[in-house]
Amino acid sequence: MAYRIQRLPTPPRAIALTARALAVGLALITAGVALAWKGASPWSLAHEVITDTFGSAFALEDLALLVSPLILTGLSVWVGLRVGAWNIGAEGQFNSGALAAAGVGLFVPGPTAVVLPLMLIAAIGGGVLWMAGPALARAYVGVSELITTLLLNFVAALLVYWLATGPWLDPGGRAIGTTARIPAEMPAVWGGVHWGLPLAVLLTLGAGTLLNYTRWGYEIRVCGANSDAARYAGMPVRRHLMTVMLLSGGLAGIAGMFEVAGTVHHLQGGISNNFGYLGIMVAVLARRSTLGVLAGAVFMALLLNSGTILSTRGVDVSIVLAVTGLVLLYTAIGDEVAHYRLVPTRELPCP
Amino acid sequence: MTAGAPPLVQLTGITKAFPGIIAAANVDLDVEPGEIHALLGENGAGKSTLMNILTGIYRPDAGDIRIDDCRRQFASPADAMAAGIGMVHQHFKLVRSFTVAENIHLGWERTPGLIRARDLALRTRELADRFGLAVRPDARIDELSTGEQQRVEILRVLVRRARVLIMDEPTAVLTPGEAQELFNTLRSFVAQGNAVILISHKLDEVLKIADRISVLRGGRKIATERARDCSASMLARMMVGHELPLGLTRLRRAAAAPMTAAPVLELRDVVVSDALGLTRLERISLQLHGGEILGIAGVAGNGQKELSQVMTGTRHVSSGEILLGGSDFSRRSAREFADFGVGHIPEDRLHSGLAPALSVADNALLREYRRAPVSRRGWYRPRRALALARVMASAAAVRVEDFAMPIGNLSGGNQQRLVARREMRIASRVLVAAYPARGLDVGAIDTMLRYLVELRDAGIGVILFSEELEELLNLADRIAVLCRGAITGVFDPRTASLEEIGMAMAGQRGPRG
Amino acid sequence: MNVATGLLHTALLAGGVPALAALGEVMSERVGVINLGVEGLMALGAITAVVTVVDGANPYVGFLAAFALGLVVGMGFALITVQIRANQVLCGLALTLMGTGLAAAIGKPYAGTPLPAVFPPVVIPYLSRIPMLGEAVFSQNILVYVIYLVLPLGLHLLLFHTRHGLNLRAVGDNPAAADAAGIAVQRIRFCYVAVGAGFAAAAGAYLTLCFVPSWSDGVVAGRGWIAVALVIFAGFRPINAVLGALLFGATTALGFLGQARNWPIAPALLSMLPYLATLALLIVPAAASPRVRRLLAAPAALGLPYYRDER
Repeated sequence: MAYRIQRLPTPPRAIALTARALAVGLALITAGVALAWKGASPWSLAHEVITDTFGSAFALEDLALLVSPLILTGLSVWVGLRVGAWNIGAEGQFNSGALAAAGVGLFVPGPTAVVLPLMLIAAIGGGVLWMAGPALARAYVGVSELITTLLLNFVAALLVYWLATGPWLDPGGRAIGTTARIPAEMPAVWGGVHWGLPLAVLLTLGAGTLLNYTRWGYEIRVCGANSDAARYAGMPVRRHLMTVMLLSGGLAGIAGMFEVAGTVHHLQGGISNNFGYLGIMVAVLARRSTLGVLAGAVFMALLLNSGTILSTRGVDVSIVLAVTGLVLLYTAIGDEVAHYRLVPTRELPCP
Repeated sequence: MTAGAPPLVQLTGITKAFPGIIAAANVDLDVEPGEIHALLGENGAGKSTLMNILTGIYRPDAGDIRIDDCRRQFASPADAMAAGIGMVHQHFKLVRSFTVAENIHLGWERTPGLIRARDLALRTRELADRFGLAVRPDARIDELSTGEQQRVEILRVLVRRARVLIMDEPTAVLTPGEAQELFNTLRSFVAQGNAVILISHKLDEVLKIADRISVLRGGRKIATERARDCSASMLARMMVGHELPLGLTRLRRAAAAPMTAAPVLELRDVVVSDALGLTRLERISLQLHGGEILGIAGVAGNGQKELSQVMTGTRHVSSGEILLGGSDFSRRSAREFADFGVGHIPEDRLHSGLAPALSVADNALLREYRRAPVSRRGWYRPRRALALARVMASAAAVRVEDFAMPIGNLSGGNQQRLVARREMRIASRVLVAAYPARGLDVGAIDTMLRYLVELRDAGIGVILFSEELEELLNLADRIAVLCRGAITGVFDPRTASLEEIGMAMAGQRGPRG
Repeated sequence: MNVATGLLHTALLAGGVPALAALGEVMSERVGVINLGVEGLMALGAITAVVTVVDGANPYVGFLAAFALGLVVGMGFALITVQIRANQVLCGLALTLMGTGLAAAIGKPYAGTPLPAVFPPVVIPYLSRIPMLGEAVFSQNILVYVIYLVLPLGLHLLLFHTRHGLNLRAVGDNPAAADAAGIAVQRIRFCYVAVGAGFAAAAGAYLTLCFVPSWSDGVVAGRGWIAVALVIFAGFRPINAVLGALLFGATTALGFLGQARNWPIAPALLSMLPYLATLALLIVPAAASPRVRRLLAAPAALGLPYYRDER
């Protein structure tokens, strides 16, 4: 029997998910093969990664501390995608949120119970501000937000670096390139893990509820799926675009605040640690579900953690970025291939 | 026809399937030199698919193509072109940002290696004169009328020495006068020993111009007859496979609501200019009464899109007034129009009326998602939405297995039925229907037009944009003709002649009122 | 050299990096494929040139090695985006991540090592004597002449005055029409995507061979993205792209000047100038009149894979 290939407009869900899973698996295998080719043994490395990641409570806490910023940056990008906007600037919004929070934390006196909420508000404001330019440009002049948000990433990184090594440099003078310790700290929920994690999860579930169970959420989904149809139905597309993009910026800003107030307790260059870019990966892995954001964040945290563990074994930590790229590439290929199916060419009955 | 010569084109056993549809099943077709051969069938019968196979765009799943008695396989459109097959598609394959001259010279090996705009324009003018087609070489395609664009398409195909010219629904975009000119061009083309394949769904046109007619239905060829042996009813029966339903008339039922005295929708001196400063609508004044069907005739591209947008609030007027129920709605939003009771079946449902990636249920709720029981105090209840979507689908006679699947997966006909039902539910005062029957099969067209009559009888005002004058003459109480953004005449279908309407479509101003 | 001449000289030198990459991206986007992997390709090209030259080769070999690498990677990218038709945005981002990560890992041992060989300046005899301009413009290394004169003019001629250029522009604007006209859509897309990627990698080599003669982590610093932005600003025209790159180079040069002259603004803040300037470049033309916007419009099919067999 002869076969030929046919393309469906939308792949069946089961096939699409299988393709995804296969893609991620193949990417990891490819990475393993590349490592083996370079002389390192992938099996022993994998073994080490698993024991080091899940081996002790401390190790799990480290993992949890990676998950919470990834949930938020992932949510930030995911929310943007729902309205059709690519927020490549989560990295910069993270930084601007972090520096706004640090500014409040370092220079506003008061008890923690008062300063922390102020830091949160400042961080949201920082993230929103950083997104404001690109959002306006997209909504009013039609400039693609992809590159505008990205350019601001570099500006934000430079700003943080300047503040941490210049005006806000730790006067105690112990370390170069970092501010003094910020007195207000996020309370812990378990061991070294701060309240940022459960809050991030709550925000994610809240976002899902908002999108699927409110009128506003329905309008956002329509705007993101087809802005012409949204306009036809009388929805305020421009306003929704702006609101959601600013929301996206705010979420990334919150991620920055949690990192500064919960994990690092200083402002320093590199505090954003590629969380913004990895958040893009989380959002792509998540597809349309908020639970996917949580799962994707855990996956990326595992990847990131593995990179840190491997760097102690001589594998450069930049490999994590490369592997992330590999996963993204295979996912993109898998998504397209899932559209195709094999169809037998059959004899047609005579008329 | 030249007796004794082998057929120019011979298709044997052509079969092609797409996901969910068998587009062509075991089709045989031959075309003789010197003839105009019509391919007749309703929308979805497989005519375009068959021709796309002949021009190398699709590969057949089975079957043979013979040109001049030589078996050929077309791996790409370039191969078909080299074999002398040229097609003027229904949706023109022109690069809109290029000029006419650039489009003519595109992908043509006779184009010189180094080009200058002036030389291209000169060569284009020469070619246009040689083939007798008037075109403006330096104009950008998106500045041309559809009739002019079609001439460019034809010229493009002719200069590549096509011997078989395939025309896909050519008169859809032409005024009656332009259609006649086209037929003259085709006649002189075949007189030189070439052939024309004319794809159409218009019976009378085909009977007038073709030498032989092949009828397709459901992907199969039903028959090939000489045109002079055919009658309209015979062809219709072959096209549809059963007796056609009774034609709709303007007769009202006894219980139907009478036309309202006051207009429910009124346009006063409406002018619309686009972003580039071009005027799309010139001082349009119209009145629509409840309980009437007002037809808008005219070739697409003459302002119909802008007019339907202005009537539904999706575009603001540059000057002039829009009144609904006597109140000024010129500055109001599309939502307010919908709340007043204006429904809109859009011209291109995939672009404006639907979000193909969203679920069927979500699309069905596009107009009513703010109303109870679906929405209450800001919350959206997916279960109620689903229930309402089910109601709509059954009323529209559309079978949907999974309401969560993207609506883009449904067939065009089903999509259109859902959109129509959705709009009818909110159209309590006015329905603006833009080409609602386009691309549908006869059964679906019938249903669609019956919906409109239903609404009319209930006292709602219906505006029907259509390319099929037949349809308008059968259905409308008045017909307004739109040409180059202006109303060139308002006619009474009971008394107006096709000629008068045709002239108005070409720009001659006729009677008003 | 006085201040203005020095500024111009540095501006030309600095702008050459995004200019070369932007020229390649113009070709890629003109045939309808957006390649967001330019940043990663630049990093790969930069480290390739470093590795090649440190091992004793002359800079021309380093430059060509980078171009060849870019070409090969570009062919892979083209296979995935043009033939397999995977989403171009995602694939480009993936390429950037992979390229940046790999280059950083490979470059670790080479960080900070000054390169033994660089491109020497080629002084053009009479033109370099022109007061003010001469020294800045006509005593640059050979690559600068190629990037600012030969390539933009050549590409402009190709795109707008040849039959081949007409065909390739049609591929990016309406691949269905090009296909119906007998043009080999997929083949043209494949070729120009690969060549564009080659240019991007070559731009990275230019960076480490001519501008910063060494490698360090993060040396690319977003110049790949600047190149992508420049293509939009330039309205997808080669000559405009190079002019935009010059503007970018000027802001970089200004930053250097500020540091050298000990201006009261911190170097980190001066380094922000190029990015902010590019941001402005992106927004300004979009706010121009609709007629101008139409002239500078993107190829209509940019980013959309071409399926011939689609209903």
